[in-house]
Amino acid sequence: MSTGSTRDELASDSEVGHVYLRQLVRAQLLLSLTALLAFGGLLAALPLAIAVLPGLQRVQVAGVPLPLLLIGAPLFLLFLAVGWLYTRRADALDTQFAELVEERRP
Amino acid sequence: MIALLAVGVVTLGGLGLGLFGVRLARSTSDVFVASRAISPWWNAAAISGEYLSAASFLGIAGLQMKIGASALWLPVGFAAGYLALLLFVAAPLRRFGAYTIPDFAEARLEARWMRVVGSLMVLVIGGFYLVPQLKGAGLTLGVVTGAPYWIGVAIVAVVVTVVVAFGGMRGITYVQAYQYWVKTFAILLPACLLLIHLGGLPARAALFGAELPTAPPGGLVVQLDEATSVEFPAAARYVIDGRAFRAPAGAERTLPAGELRLAAGTVVPVADDIPASAGRDWSRPVAAHGRASPVFVFSLLLATVLGTMGLPHILVRFYTNRDGPAARRTTVRVLGLLGLFYLFPVVYGLLGRVLVPELYITGATDEVVLRLPEAAWPGLGGELLGAVTAAGAFAAFLSTASGLLISLAGTVSYDLWERVGRQRAPEPADRVRRFRRAAPVVVALPALLALLARDIDISVLVGWAFALAASTFCPLFVLGIWWTGITARGAAAGMATGALTASAAILAGLMLDPAAGSATEALLTQPAAISVPLAFATMVLVSRRDRHKPQRVREHMRALHVPEALGLEPTRRA
Repeated sequence: MSTGSTRDELASDSEVGHVYLRQLVRAQLLLSLTALLAFGGLLAALPLAIAVLPGLQRVQVAGVPLPLLLIGAPLFLLFLAVGWLYTRRADALDTQFAELVEERRP
Repeated sequence: MIALLAVGVVTLGGLGLGLFGVRLARSTSDVFVASRAISPWWNAAAISGEYLSAASFLGIAGLQMKIGASALWLPVGFAAGYLALLLFVAAPLRRFGAYTIPDFAEARLEARWMRVVGSLMVLVIGGFYLVPQLKGAGLTLGVVTGAPYWIGVAIVAVVVTVVVAFGGMRGITYVQAYQYWVKTFAILLPACLLLIHLGGLPARAALFGAELPTAPPGGLVVQLDEATSVEFPAAARYVIDGRAFRAPAGAERTLPAGELRLAAGTVVPVADDIPASAGRDWSRPVAAHGRASPVFVFSLLLATVLGTMGLPHILVRFYTNRDGPAARRTTVRVLGLLGLFYLFPVVYGLLGRVLVPELYITGATDEVVLRLPEAAWPGLGGELLGAVTAAGAFAAFLSTASGLLISLAGTVSYDLWERVGRQRAPEPADRVRRFRRAAPVVVALPALLALLARDIDISVLVGWAFALAASTFCPLFVLGIWWTGITARGAAAGMATGALTASAAILAGLMLDPAAGSATEALLTQPAAISVPLAFATMVLVSRRDRHKPQRVREHMRALHVPEALGLEPTRRA
């Protein structure tokens, strides 16, 4: 048994330190994949929706077919929203990890 | 004349800022990564400024005018690329603390030869991406001054080399941030003023209805500089240098150089590679065939979303963030800044279809952003707005080309010359001297290629660079950052598979001329849907079978993922 803190375990790349780190990496990856699924799913669904629903083209907003409007501003806002939410959550995971590791310091 | 002045002001502004930065650029760290002391807003504007290239400024509207609304997936993918970068790469890569992509490849995979592999890919992708920038420059100077194409190419190549060789990155960060605002202003202002001036979108029948583009009231006069083969989608009468001709619907003719006149309301003929489509087909973002087919759209989205993280000039900018969280904040701001810019190219595509239909005849639809203002608003107003878009276009080439050149020169002088060439530890002055010598060398080949690529759409050229990046560096980063099992051989095999598949498909598409509108054509034009999964699969499979695992995987994972807040020793790196 090493007598150092978790932080030291990490710094020395010991097994214990890396059990903690693996949890962080897994949590971050899960978060990233969730966000990818959210925006990638919507992004991939849109061309399909436009392809299988040709009627959308006849729906006009201010004289412009709806699909043309959909692949502009709404998507950029979606990206921004997903990015912002992701960043908050990812920073929080980092902070949690830092606190967890610091706490175990003797 | 006004346009030339505007181009001059923007260029000199960029040069001035770049040269002013010289005094600040003292150490190597300055030259390469601007000392890592730049705030997220500055960084975000600089990244966006560097990213918004000729493809964004001219290419999107040009391609939209040519093939229709399916071109609008391009800006969507360009922006979404930063989301993918944010989710998988931004913070860990910043933490890892490697200067360049080859640095990352060598350090993470513990193989010196991976630096060579990475460097070669940087040179290929960056060089590929420089070509359309220089093409855009030649085109713009041609429109503005009537100068031959090659002069514009040469001028931008020289200006960019000077800025890069003498400014280094510190200068460039502020230059790039300035260029973002120049470009956004230059695309936003004319778009809004023209819409107000015209009272909305004109001639909706040609945009969203059954009509093909026609000569405007008052007729159309086009100066053809060279013989041009065109197709007449509808029966038409036309006059060349005073001699009248008739063409039945569907006729293919080669028009001689000279002055072509079409009476008002005549359906305009279209150049060889342009599909004649009525407004309702043209305005459809997804359709059954060709470049609007779902297969092509998905492949394009895959290339742009995953390719962004593999562009060498973009990644190096993330090292100028203070730490991982700052890199994340920067990326979110980039998403906002890009979203703002990408609202406007579509306006030029829509107006251009109605107001500058002569570009369908000459085939030079990439010029629509430059030509539209004067066509839509004859007189001083249009001339001024035309000057604004010309200046913005120039800002676009300058910024992207200089960013690319920094990466390329850095790769040659640092990754290949110094690190691989096993030079003795150099004086900082030596490093800077090598960097300055490398700059003019690496700009030469892309400039030559740009002279040859005059007839290939800017957006198409850029699409290939993205496909290559998505098939090589994207799997390297994603697997290198998140998977402990990756090995040097696996990475090299995956990158080689991706690069070869993508280039082979593009070459085959150019040489075999597959049936227009088929799924085969779509995948040969944009091969990412095949090459990216193949690259990932190869990288994983070869790594699994490889016994030469990197020794210090734990150390790397710690460097990539442990938050800076813990204050662990930063890992040593060049």
